[in-house]
Amino acid sequence: MGELFHLEDVTKVYKMGEVEVRALDGVSFAIQRGEFLAIMGPSGSGKSTVMHLLGCLDRPTSGRMVLDGLDLLKASDNQLAEIRNAKIGFVFQQFNLLPRESALRNVETPAIYAGMKRSERVRRARELLERVGLGDRLFHFPSQLSGGERQRVAIARALMNDPAIVLADEPTGNLDTKTGEEILTLFRNLHKEGRTVVLVTHDRRVAEYASRILHMQDGRILKEERVN
Amino acid sequence: MLRTTINSLSAHKLRTALSVLGILIGVASVIAMISVGQGATYDIRSRVESLGADLVTVSPAFRVGRAGVASAQITETFTLELADELAKAPAVRDVVPVIQTNGTIKYRDRNLQTTLMGVTPAYPSVVNYPVARGRFFSAQDLENYAKVLVLGSEVAQQLFPDEDPLGKEVVLERAGTRFLFTIIGVMTSKGQLGFGQYDNRIYLPVTTVARRITGDRTVNFYNLRVASTDQVDEAIAQVEFILSRRISNPEDYRVRAQQDIIETVNQNAITMTFLLGGIAAIALLVGGIGIMNILLVSVVERTREIGIRKALGAKRRDILWQFLTESVFVSVLGGVMGLLMGVGAAALIASFSRWPLIVPSYAVFLALGFSLIVGLIFGVYPAARAARLDPVEALRYE
Ligand SMILES: Nc1ncnc2c1ncn2[C@@H]1O[C@H](COP(=O)(O)OP(=O)(O)OP(=O)(O)O)[C@@H](O)[C@H]1O
Ligand SMILES: [Mg+2]
Repeated sequence: MGELFHLEDVTKVYKMGEVEVRALDGVSFAIQRGEFLAIMGPSGSGKSTVMHLLGCLDRPTSGRMVLDGLDLLKASDNQLAEIRNAKIGFVFQQFNLLPRESALRNVETPAIYAGMKRSERVRRARELLERVGLGDRLFHFPSQLSGGERQRVAIARALMNDPAIVLADEPTGNLDTKTGEEILTLFRNLHKEGRTVVLVTHDRRVAEYASRILHMQDGRILKEERVN
Repeated sequence: MLRTTINSLSAHKLRTALSVLGILIGVASVIAMISVGQGATYDIRSRVESLGADLVTVSPAFRVGRAGVASAQITETFTLELADELAKAPAVRDVVPVIQTNGTIKYRDRNLQTTLMGVTPAYPSVVNYPVARGRFFSAQDLENYAKVLVLGSEVAQQLFPDEDPLGKEVVLERAGTRFLFTIIGVMTSKGQLGFGQYDNRIYLPVTTVARRITGDRTVNFYNLRVASTDQVDEAIAQVEFILSRRISNPEDYRVRAQQDIIETVNQNAITMTFLLGGIAAIALLVGGIGIMNILLVSVVERTREIGIRKALGAKRRDILWQFLTESVFVSVLGGVMGLLMGVGAAALIASFSRWPLIVPSYAVFLALGFSLIVGLIFGVYPAARAARLDPVEALRYE
C-alpha cells in the first residue's frame, strides 16, 4: 500500500489582528494509499482545517507535511494548484457549485483547467452525471437542483479528473438519511475502485463506513480507532 | 474559456451594458472628433487651394494702434503704376491691382448691397476664377474706363432670378452718386472663402473704379501670380526688394503666399484635430475607469466563485486570464460599436456641413487599439486582485 500523506507535528495558526487562533496544535498522522479514513470531532476541533491541508488548499504554519514524497510546505502555488486539479477530488460541505454554470459545465470545470479537449470533456462529464443518477439534469443550474442532487453534482465534479484521492467534508450533513446513505454508497464504491477516501463527519454511523476513525478535539488528535 | 466569459457577462447584463457604453462613447467621440477635424480641414484647405498655391498677395499691414489706417507712404506707393513695376519682377507672371469698395447695384425695382472689385483682365486667371457666361472685360475696356461689369454668381442669382443678365443695364450707386453700367459677364460660382465672398461681388475695370467711382487711385492690395509654382519664394523676395526701395518701414506692408496660408490652415487643423482627439481620449479613459470599477465590484462579489475555481485546480494565471478576458471583451465590444457609432456621427455631420466624410485609418486603429489597451490596463488590477485571492479565504467568503 504505502504512505500517501504524512503529517508530523503540523500546526495551523490563524492570526486575527492581535489574537492567534491555533486551529491545529501539533497534529501527526499518516494516510495509507487506498485507505478509507473518517475524521470525527466536535465543532471547531479543526476537522475542516485538516481537510483543507489534505486538499492542498492551504499550507501548514509549521510542522512537516508530505504528499507522495512532495514537501507541501515548500511547494509553489502552481504546484499546489496542479495537485488539486489532478490528484484530489474535493467535495465541500456547502457543495460549492458555480452558481451561474449548468450541472454539466460544473462537472467539466476541473477538466477545463487540466486542458482536456472539449468533446472528451463533455462526454466524460455526462458519463459521471449519469453514474450519480443525474443523467436527466445535465442543463439544470444549481439553484434548480435539490440538496442531494447538488451534492451528487459536486461528487461527479470531484471525480472529473479521475483523482486518486477523494476528500469530503461532511458530505451527508445536509441530507436526509436515505439520500445520505445513497451518497455514502457512492463513496464506498469509490474506495472499492482503489481511491483513497477521507470523510469528515459528526455521525458515528457514517464514520463506520470507513476502516479507520480519527477523533479530534481542540486542534489535536484525541485518538485513533480501527473499525471493521 | 470564452464560454465562461460570456456566461458571467450575461449574468449581469445591465452592468456589462454600462461598461460597454462607457467605452463606446469614448471611442465614438474619438472617431467622430478626428473625422470632423479632418473633414473641416479638407474643406478649408480645398477652398484656399482653389485660388492656387502660387498666388501671392501684397497688402498694407495694419498695425495695432493704427487700426485700419495705412501709412502715408503706403497710400502714395500703392498705385496702379506700382502694379506694372511689380510685374517686372522676373518670378512674377501677372499682377492685378485691386481697388475694393462698397456700393449698391440696382436693376428695375431690385437693389443689392455689394462689394465692388476694381480689377484688371488678368484677374480670372490670377485667382483661378473663370467667367461662366459672357466675357470678362478687356485691356481695351481698361483703357477706355469702360462702364462695364461682371457679376458674381450670387449677385446674378438675386438680381436676375429669371432673366438673362447679359447686356442688361444696371445702376451703380455709391456715396449718393449714380452710374449706368452694362453687364458683360457672369462669373462661375466659387463658394465662400474665409471672409471674402467672391460670389457676392461685382467686378469692374480698376481704372473705371479709380477715375469714375472713388476718385482715389490708391490700390487696396495686389494679387500676384507667380511664374511657376517653385518660384514662390523668389517672387516674394523680388517683390519685397521692389517695395523696400519705396517704403522705408518693411512692417508697413505684407507679402504673403497662398501657400503660407494653406500651411497655417494645416497647422491649425492638426492642432484642432489633436485637441478634439485628446478631449475624446479623456472620455475613453473615463470609460476605462468605469470598467475597472465594475470589475473590482465583480471581483469582490465573485470571491467565492474564485475560491471554488482555485479549489478545482485553477492557477493564478487562469483566474487572471478569466478577468482580463472579461474586461478586454467588454472594451473591444465597446470599441467596435463605438467605431460604428463614431463613423455614423461623422457621416451625419459631414453631410450637414457638405464636406467629405474622412475617417483616417489611423483613427480606426487608434480607437480600437486604445480600447484594447484600456481593457487590458484597467482589467489587470482587478484581475490580479482576483488571482491573488487565497483559496481557503475565498471559499469562506459569504
Ligand atoms: N480563517 C480563519 N480565521 C480564523 N480562525 C479560523 C479560520 N478558520 C478556522 N478558524 C478557527 O479554527 C478552528 C477550527 O476550525 P475548523 O473549521 O477546522 O473546525 P471544524 O472542526 O471543521 O468545525 P465544524 O464541525 O463546525 O465544521 C475554529 O475555532 C475556527 O474558528
Ligand atoms: Mg468544518
